Amino acid sequence: MPRQLIGFAAAVRLGWAVSSNWTRPILFVTYAVLRPISVALILAVMYSVITHNAAAARPYLAFLIIGTAFWSFIQEGVSEFATGILEDRGRYHILKYSYMAPLGFPVFLLGRATSKLGSAAASVVIVLVVGTVALQLPINPLRIDYPLLIAACILAFISVIAFAITLCMVLLAGKDTHGYGEIMAQFLYLFSGAIFPIAVLPGPIAWLAALSPLPYWLELCRRAILHGQVYRMFPSLSDGDVLLRLVIATAGTVVLGYVLYRWTDRRARGLGYIDMEANW
Amino acid sequence: MIGAAQRTEYPALRIFFKTIAARAYPRVMAANRQKTWLFFDMAFPVVGALAMVLVYEGLHAPRQYLGFVVMGGAMLAFWQNVLWSMAAQFSWDRGNGTLELYVISPTTFEGVLLGMALGSMFTVTSRAVVILVLGSLLFGVTYTAAGTLPAIGVFLLTLSALYCLGMLLASLFLFYGREAWHLSNAMQEPVNFLSGLYFPVHALGAYVGGAASLVPMTLGLDAMRQLLLPGTPVFIPAGVEALLVAIQVPIFAVLAGISLRYMERRARRDGKLVTRWE
Repeated sequence: MPRQLIGFAAAVRLGWAVSSNWTRPILFVTYAVLRPISVALILAVMYSVITHNAAAARPYLAFLIIGTAFWSFIQEGVSEFATGILEDRGRYHILKYSYMAPLGFPVFLLGRATSKLGSAAASVVIVLVVGTVALQLPINPLRIDYPLLIAACILAFISVIAFAITLCMVLLAGKDTHGYGEIMAQFLYLFSGAIFPIAVLPGPIAWLAALSPLPYWLELCRRAILHGQVYRMFPSLSDGDVLLRLVIATAGTVVLGYVLYRWTDRRARGLGYIDMEANW
Repeated sequence: MIGAAQRTEYPALRIFFKTIAARAYPRVMAANRQKTWLFFDMAFPVVGALAMVLVYEGLHAPRQYLGFVVMGGAMLAFWQNVLWSMAAQFSWDRGNGTLELYVISPTTFEGVLLGMALGSMFTVTSRAVVILVLGSLLFGVTYTAAGTLPAIGVFLLTLSALYCLGMLLASLFLFYGREAWHLSNAMQEPVNFLSGLYFPVHALGAYVGGAASLVPMTLGLDAMRQLLLPGTPVFIPAGVEALLVAIQVPIFAVLAGISLRYMERRARRDGKLVTRWE
């Protein structure tokens, strides 16, 4: 196996161990799903209070629940990943060793981010199961358009990882940036179309949101899982059109992320951010 | 012979009150010195509330629901503070070596925790006011002027009960290492749901709403909404809710005292007061 691949696998294993070895697996999964399930329940109650569960509004409930379920990938991939890297530096003081290793720092970061996305998968599945059983969403695992779902998710993961790696490099500049990953995830929540269509946003902000890959990814997830039975953010666009937009937005995110990464990396080395005491 | 230092014995009550003041001081001063945290404390509830407002906009909800969200967003700042800066605080203190200093000093954990609570109440209230004013102006929320004074009374009762609950949680968290972070994280959204932070508690029904009433924020927030936002669906009449919250204050305070004694004994026995890097 090529050395980079072995290093990547080691970084994934390390990320998983750091995230989960504080407790037993069952307790870890319980903690991991409490948050997305609670958010899904909050939205379901808000929906039922306003619509009184009217049949005509059911596609909007499906829109909310699928958006919330898949949001776990962003929560873990952006917020928890940034926290993990800042912890590596400030709390465990191991970031400099990862940086110095022959593996290459980007491969290490890629591995850590991948482990976060992997651990989010359990909560995505559980929220969808809860949505199907408790909220009677018409989700049928045999009718899901898996090729579309997988293609959309792979593209989204590439852009999420690119964004998360760049964000954590930017956050290394601060001594007390712990918690900013969470704030950033919250901001992305507003721009992603996870729980409301981006058309609800004021004009210029809606335009900015349309540049992000996240609304297209979530739209494709919803279409792949529920076909015509879910509220559409882009009713005039075909699946192919939405996929094309996701490809373009992902490419843009990766290019921008790469440029910013190179700049922040040079800056971090120049100003000694990699092993800076962060007063954890 | 080297002159022996004059030893002064201070009465326990004086030490207790001085501890409260000493622990409250950094909560008030340091929290305002760290500008990034000032932003963090306010941005998190505002962004969360904004998301929920936009959900209601997407559902074409009546305007009064935006008021529920704004008030919920302001109260969220307190719950976050109770979780992260009260319940989990002893875990951080143990990590940085402060906990052992508390134990060998002539004061009590109650004094330290009360100081934390008072300092936090002052600091977070100033942030919550900003969130409330900003949110109300931004989303055009109006309140019933006649309900303001009773609502302030309920608010103070709710804060007392909430921070007494925080003291109880702090004693339970004394044993946690890295779990403290995860436990606080895990308790955030479920309580947001159960306390009806973004919707009227009435929607949870009698059983779930009744069970959720164990968290003082549930009843306190509902009472304040009834007093300030006309048309709030009544879960329990506001007066009864205020009475129940008032009863919770001494209950949580006594439980916190008992739990602190018990946990401290156990922590001493198991060497948990000085364990780090768990």
